[in-house]
Amino acid sequence: MTRRFRLLALGLLAAFAPLVHADQVADIKAKGELVCGVLGTDDPFSFVDPKSREIVGYDVDLCNAVAKKLGVKTSLKQLAVAARVPELQQGRVDILAASLTHNKEREALIDFSLSTFITGQKVMTKKTSGIQQPAQLTGQKVLTVKGSTMEQNIKKLVPGAEIISFDNSPQAFLALQQGKGVAYVNDETSLIDDFSKLGPAQKDYVILPTSISTEHLALGLKKGEAGMKTLVDGVLRDMEKSGDAEKLFMKWLGPETKMKFPARPFKFETDKIDG
Amino acid sequence: MSDFDLHLLTAGPYHEQLVAGFWLSIKLAAGTLVLAMPLALLVALLRMTPSRLLNGVGFTFVEAIRNVPLLAHILFWYFGAPELLPEGLKLWLYRGNIEVAAAVIALTLYTAAYMSEDIRSGVRSVPKEQLEAARALGFNFLTSMRLVVLPQALRITVPPLISQGLSLWKNTSMAMVVGVAEMLYQAQQVESATFRSFEAFAFATAGYLGVSLVITGIAVLYEHRVRGAAGR
Repeated sequence: MTRRFRLLALGLLAAFAPLVHADQVADIKAKGELVCGVLGTDDPFSFVDPKSREIVGYDVDLCNAVAKKLGVKTSLKQLAVAARVPELQQGRVDILAASLTHNKEREALIDFSLSTFITGQKVMTKKTSGIQQPAQLTGQKVLTVKGSTMEQNIKKLVPGAEIISFDNSPQAFLALQQGKGVAYVNDETSLIDDFSKLGPAQKDYVILPTSISTEHLALGLKKGEAGMKTLVDGVLRDMEKSGDAEKLFMKWLGPETKMKFPARPFKFETDKIDG
Repeated sequence: MSDFDLHLLTAGPYHEQLVAGFWLSIKLAAGTLVLAMPLALLVALLRMTPSRLLNGVGFTFVEAIRNVPLLAHILFWYFGAPELLPEGLKLWLYRGNIEVAAAVIALTLYTAAYMSEDIRSGVRSVPKEQLEAARALGFNFLTSMRLVVLPQALRITVPPLISQGLSLWKNTSMAMVVGVAEMLYQAQQVESATFRSFEAFAFATAGYLGVSLVITGIAVLYEHRVRGAAGR
């Protein structure tokens, strides 16, 4: 009885003891692959290319650049918006390239690379709603995505708004089109992407010019892995210096694409956010 | 492992959110139960009438609903069905609480389909001589059911119906996919705001478990009373 109890206790102890911690960079090189968490539903950051049926995008290319530097192959893992941080924390993905916003609350849980994209979150509404300022959303139904930063931001900005959250952006956008809410909040690139998909119905919708927040998107890294962070930041800085960063932006968001950004409004240079 | 912050759950804005979610879950379940039981009875009767046409209607209802996942029902009633309404009615509905309405409709139909099968089994366990004797006395189908068969059948059907009630209570959590702010949705909101997933989901678990135990307790009480009264 005592012997079995001791064995059981030892077993449990071993299971719960903190794992001997090797450097993540060495681990990934040993594995031979970099597991990247991506969304797969966020054009142009990570989405399914209709022709090749593979997940491609701005974030995917960044992930490939990091994998190339490590000398391993990329393995993409599709995640839900709300599952991104937990999956990285539990080690099921090595890096997050999933339209991840860098903010103070998340800094307590994970580390971030240099900001890879700086944009704002905006509001899309039908022209018939007569809404021109986010403040007019008090008492109205506002549609957004569960577990996202825009959910938190719109709650802070307009406390009187009734927030209806869906599992993903396409559902929230559909609800806007059906009139189940008066406004749809998402980050600027997703809104521009959804707007472009409207086709002739574009004349009925408008994206309000006021941003409800500035967002720094960055790659998510496991907390405490200094080696990995140095490597990833190094890759990003090299991309900036060699002009690859500019080319990457133009490839996915430039004037030839439906995003039609005329110029790149930021550089890969900082991982500091204010506020 | 960070420490369990009970204070988060017992006071403050997050506590209010979670409690509001709990009450909405209770309301969803109660409202659905009130609507589903008469509907279940109606569908069960449809399947037992002598008329082939009415049998077919009942059969189609039950099979069409039971064989589709509840999630699909909720999404259909929220995204699909209202679009077919005339414009004026649609806009009035969207201004109101379409999310809760769609969820309650989906849950009612789903629960009623299962409950009607339980009621039908209960009726089938009453010897058919009862119905024949009632008809022989001159009662028509509906009256014989009402006065003779159903009172006996419903006594047998109560345990399965209570277990359907238990399923319903847990199924109310599905309403969160269309943005209904019930308990599990609120737990997710609290979790994404505070990153304290353990506390948030502990509250939701305790809520679901608590009411489930109450429902099970009712079932046990019923069994004892029936057993005791019938002396079986």
